[in-house]
Amino acid sequence: MADEALAKAGLHFDELNKIRVLEPEVAQQTSELKEDCKDFVEKIGDFQKIVGTFIEVVDNVATEVEKEKMKAIGARNLLKSIAKQRESHQQQLRALITEKKMQLERLRIQHDSLVKEESEQNDFIEQLILQK
Amino acid sequence: MTLPKDCFPTGMHWFPKTSTGGGAKKSASDVFVLTSTDGKFRLISRTGRIEKTVEAHKGAVLCGQWSPDGTALVTAGEDGQVKIWSRSGMLRSTLTQNSLPVYSVSWGPDADQVLFTNGKQLVLKPLQANAKPTMWKGSDGIILVVDWNPVNNLIISAGEDCRYRVWDTYGRMIYNSAAHDYPITSASWTPDGEMFAVGSFNTLRLCDRSGWSYALEKPNTGSIFSLAWSSDGTQVAGASGNGQVLIANVIERRLEWKNFEATVNASKQIIVKNVMNDTLEKLDFRDRIVKVSLSFNHLVVATSSQCYVYSSRNWNTPMIFDLKEGSVTLIKQAEKHFVMVDGGGVYVYSYDGRLVCSPRYQGMKADILNTQTISISNDTIAIRDKTDEKLIYVFDAQTGKIMGDGKPISHKLEVMEVALDQCGPTGERRLAIIDKNRDLHMTSVRVFGAERKSVKLGPMIHSMAWNDETNMLAGMTDGKILVWYYPNTVYVDKDLLTSTQYHRDSAEFGKSPQLLAFVGNHLILRRSEGSLVSTSISPYIAVLHDYVNGSRWEDAVRLCRFVKDDSLWSCLAAMAAYSKDLNTAEVAYAAIKEVNKVQFIMNIKDIPVKEARNAEMALLCGNPLDAEAILLQAGLIFRAIMLNIQLYNWDRALELAVKHKTHVDTVMGYRLKYLDRFDKKENNKRYLQYKDGIEVDWEKIESKIEMEYQKERERPSGGGSTTASSTNSRPTPSSRPTASQRS
Repeated sequence: MADEALAKAGLHFDELNKIRVLEPEVAQQTSELKEDCKDFVEKIGDFQKIVGTFIEVVDNVATEVEKEKMKAIGARNLLKSIAKQRESHQQQLRALITEKKMQLERLRIQHDSLVKEESEQNDFIEQLILQK
Repeated sequence: MTLPKDCFPTGMHWFPKTSTGGGAKKSASDVFVLTSTDGKFRLISRTGRIEKTVEAHKGAVLCGQWSPDGTALVTAGEDGQVKIWSRSGMLRSTLTQNSLPVYSVSWGPDADQVLFTNGKQLVLKPLQANAKPTMWKGSDGIILVVDWNPVNNLIISAGEDCRYRVWDTYGRMIYNSAAHDYPITSASWTPDGEMFAVGSFNTLRLCDRSGWSYALEKPNTGSIFSLAWSSDGTQVAGASGNGQVLIANVIERRLEWKNFEATVNASKQIIVKNVMNDTLEKLDFRDRIVKVSLSFNHLVVATSSQCYVYSSRNWNTPMIFDLKEGSVTLIKQAEKHFVMVDGGGVYVYSYDGRLVCSPRYQGMKADILNTQTISISNDTIAIRDKTDEKLIYVFDAQTGKIMGDGKPISHKLEVMEVALDQCGPTGERRLAIIDKNRDLHMTSVRVFGAERKSVKLGPMIHSMAWNDETNMLAGMTDGKILVWYYPNTVYVDKDLLTSTQYHRDSAEFGKSPQLLAFVGNHLILRRSEGSLVSTSISPYIAVLHDYVNGSRWEDAVRLCRFVKDDSLWSCLAAMAAYSKDLNTAEVAYAAIKEVNKVQFIMNIKDIPVKEARNAEMALLCGNPLDAEAILLQAGLIFRAIMLNIQLYNWDRALELAVKHKTHVDTVMGYRLKYLDRFDKKENNKRYLQYKDGIEVDWEKIESKIEMEYQKERERPSGGGSTTASSTNSRPTPSSRPTASQRS
């Protein structure tokens, strides 16, 4: 009866017979909720941390990927230009070869003339030998 | 130094170092002209101070160049004008006005003409206001660059048709290159005019003066926009499109002489190879090698500070001496010494490194001498004057003094090339000259008393060379190689000239080969595309020369009999006649079937007096004036008079007779005979004048003549064969083949 009367007045006793304004169940639920909330907040914090590192990693990967991409593009361009470079190099080499060929031709002509002269001189010597 | 912000330079040119005007070498040489896109040119001193800024053209100034003597500056601009400025930057004249930009301009050798580009045309314009310009089409594309060398007087042009061309000043094309891959953006002559460099995109080419290419280099520099040579012609600097300045050294110059081959294989190293035994000698130098010459058993190397003289017997210990000025432009060798030319003068050194002399004349410009305009032999140096190209100064190589009366040899026409023979006695030194018409003349260097005579040897001679061991002369004409086995023949017997000449078709050596040297029995030629070829002549000629120089006439005759060659006999005839060796001359003339000359020589042999014989020899050589001079000198008045009578030189005969008061009647008698024979009347005033006073009595004349011959026989100086019959010794006109030339 007394409890009821107290309850009507909004007062309750808990197990430890301490006077309470809230009903013991509610109080219990509240404190449970509080616990739960705390857990939740903790979890959320953890989650955020995990997500943060994840983002960081992804970002790193992204820059890496970007770099690689640029590299790939560069390499592709380089590849393209190498063909051109080759061509110009080839052209240069060809010009040098033509030059050397001309040089060779000059030397060949000189050689020919020297050989001819040698044979003329040999003829001459032979002629001298024969006449004596 | 920094330039103003709106100034973008297009070109620069240093004031010429050796400006003859003024004499005092003040800071005048320390200025350069800088042309820029803002239409101005600036004169900037060595310290970097802008001395003057001149508003010159509308639009950019594309090119500016000092005249070779430093008195004027020419600029060309995008507005198509070519302007001449004074040394201090005052406008003197506007030379021309074109509708197209003038990309390049170049001075002529004497600073009296300017060459500039006008689109596809090259224009050569004298500075005089009314003079007509010479124009010719120089390219299929726009011409970007021209350069005119003062030493060899050749022009190079190059441009957007990717070719470079070499021209002479008449606008004749000497060389046209193959098309390059890119337009040619620069071209520049070496100071000595032996080579030029051509620059294009990633391309640097070194070419010979005749156009063919020595070497090609493909530096990774972009287009080479400008090229400039060092004053010694061994290094070239180029301004390239990617902002770099490239500097190139000329290496791999190769010289050959007999069994030696010298190659400059680095800028400070020469390798000498002896082909006979394949030995290699490596010669290292402290400084850059500037000039190398290999001849007459000696290798002369001029570096930028010293001169090294090596003997081919000893490559280890050269003679070394210091040079006053670094830039040696020319070395020419003779057997005993060599001549070295630098900007300051001409110096003769002996092979042991001693300065023998340094020849000099008023107004000499040593820096533009080249192999064609200077020649050296063991005792003589000949230099063609630049201001008056008809003059040739001849110096004694021992003293450096101008020979004779101090006057230069004067030729009829402008002289293009001079060459001295290398052998024989000093008194008989001969100078071969090629003049503007490409005629080859020969003259003696030392003349005593008599007037200098120059004899024409041949027309259209492109190049010539004396032999280094004997006095043979070789020349190139159109499609033919000519060798004069004995050029003295022209002084002896012109009829023999063609038979002592050696012809050879030069078709096997390609189009217009160039004669480089005549060493021993070998002629060394350069084909127009650059290859060296050699060909030989008969070795007997040299042997014959050798015998004759040693007066071994019997050996010479024996040699000719062995070879049985008419040209050899002709040479011997000319040589013997020149040396007045009558017996040999008789044999030689007989061998080439010149009966009249044999007979004439036989007559000469019968003359008792030596001088008279000499005079008759002079007649045989076609020199009646000399003959007369010899006779008069010896006091043989009668013979001199008879000589003139027989030449039908009546005036002179009478003059001599009257002057010496003898034989006037003899002259009159012969004159009457002559008039009778040709059925003519006396119309000569002087004869008419003397006719009355003198009686012609043939008996008296005959006896007088007989007396003269008697007197001759009794002369103590006779010293020779005297014959019994004097009538035989009397020369008759019929036996005088050369006399007819005069009459």
